[in-house]
Amino acid sequence: MADALHTLAAAELGRRLAAGALTSRALCGALLARYQAVNDKVGAFTHLDQADVLAQADASDARRQAGQGRGPLEGIPVAIKDNIAVKGQPLTCSSKMLAPLVSPYDSHVAERLRAAGAILYGRLNMDEFAMGSSTENSAIRKTLNPWDLARIPGGSSGGSAAALASGLVPLALGSDTGGSIRQPASHCGVVGLKPTYGLISRFGLVAFASSLDQIGPMARSVEDCELLLNALASADARDMTCFGPSDRTLTPGGDAQKLRIGIPKGFLGKGVAPEVAAAVKAAVEFYRAQGCAISEVELPSADLAVPTYYVVATAEASSNLGRYDGVRYGHRSATAGTPFEMMTASRSEGFGPEVKRRILLGTFVLSAGYADAYYVRALRARAKIRAEYLAALAGVDVLLTPTVPTPAFKVGEKASDPLQLYLEDIFTIPANLAGLPAISVPCGKSGHLPVGFHLVGAPLSEAKLLAAGRLFETAHGYAHQQPAL
Amino acid sequence: MAVGFDIDHLAKLARLSLTAEEKALYSSQLNQILGHFQALADADLPATIDDARVVDEAALRSDEPGPVLGAEAVTRIAPASRDGQISVPRVVDDEA
Repeated sequence: MADALHTLAAAELGRRLAAGALTSRALCGALLARYQAVNDKVGAFTHLDQADVLAQADASDARRQAGQGRGPLEGIPVAIKDNIAVKGQPLTCSSKMLAPLVSPYDSHVAERLRAAGAILYGRLNMDEFAMGSSTENSAIRKTLNPWDLARIPGGSSGGSAAALASGLVPLALGSDTGGSIRQPASHCGVVGLKPTYGLISRFGLVAFASSLDQIGPMARSVEDCELLLNALASADARDMTCFGPSDRTLTPGGDAQKLRIGIPKGFLGKGVAPEVAAAVKAAVEFYRAQGCAISEVELPSADLAVPTYYVVATAEASSNLGRYDGVRYGHRSATAGTPFEMMTASRSEGFGPEVKRRILLGTFVLSAGYADAYYVRALRARAKIRAEYLAALAGVDVLLTPTVPTPAFKVGEKASDPLQLYLEDIFTIPANLAGLPAISVPCGKSGHLPVGFHLVGAPLSEAKLLAAGRLFETAHGYAHQQPAL
Repeated sequence: MAVGFDIDHLAKLARLSLTAEEKALYSSQLNQILGHFQALADADLPATIDDARVVDEAALRSDEPGPVLGAEAVTRIAPASRDGQISVPRVVDDEA
């Protein structure tokens, strides 16, 4: 096989595996060779057990030989963000708090991938506890943007996006609380989808902000993203917010050329880099030329999204991360003392600066005397933002914006200014606040750096987002470009 | 929205012990971030809050026993354990 397997889409790999032209062992062997050559440059993976990968590949090939293949993902590697539990593999959230932990159980999505015959392929770097937009907050290693090794890959699922862009793996899982799938996808020139709140079970996802967190698929093409989404979505009683597609019907994708696309007023103006705006406007013109109806929509409370998010997310994080007390699992300080002193020392030694900052902020906005002024007002603002999005989506099928206002910045450039970093998420946050599905699709370059556009749809309209993305991808093929490494 | 937090009190509530340097840094950064939140104070907001529910159906499952990890798996990941139980610093004094 002359063409490099690491460049191929999962759908094509699946066709070759099904036709008997490729074995999972050969595929995994090629990807492991790629890992040896590239991972130290990019830093996408924090852990990869090569013997375990090959054992899984052999088991997959044996199933296929016996006529017991499990579907389109049989034998295809899927790499997993290090906040999603896979039994027997590390589960560190890229934090010193959890660093030696090996998960004693599978997340729901890991169970789904095993049931689909996929290879559970290694652990991907991330911002500590998914808090960040650059993967610089990992306590384990730096991940760099494969398109420019002096720049950040985005975050918090930066390892996932960088692994895909550099051909280390064809499919990956990320998690998205305020843009953590879509923002790194945009910065690395890959596709990332945050599903409707409740479509995919979070059982086995380490909690950050539970009213916002979702697991989602990431891939080098929209088609692959859809393949992975279909394997993940299913009802699960262990996540009480998860309804699964069997309980609720996904809106059919329909004819992408008849989609009504809303462009939020002002979203291509202030703060958006000119080359990003140009690439996104070109995508709008593409859809117009295809016959889509383009209109301008109003989202008057857009400016409230970032403060609302950072109140709600940090409040929930301060509560969720209360569980790290050095008692049951994770880091316990060697400092002797009372239980209170042990807990305080364990947390202070285990958490990194951004996690501490968010816990302090979340503690403050929930504290006596301030909760009404911050937390309750944020919940009211969230209601307003959701109502405005749903009203806009009553008149159009999808909303189109840039995914991120600017291309990937240089490593360290925003490290001392947390507020500037929070503003990276300005376009992605509302979908989390409103529980809506959203996708980032590559649409060009700003210089040598990838740019993505962002589609948001009504609840359960994933198929429409994917149909729109595929229409664009089929015509352009940006997703199939690979950086030189 | 007056901002006047006491960093020592916050750190105690959050079970974090901060160095003097960290206190100065976080105080200044939190002030800056809270300044940005002023937009929330100024906004005209609805009286209702968003309880983050997308689905209306009662999502509660029946309260029935299911599989659990078991003591062996739980103590294997605990920082310290003895005789199949997690050990912690003494919580209650013998004299009490």
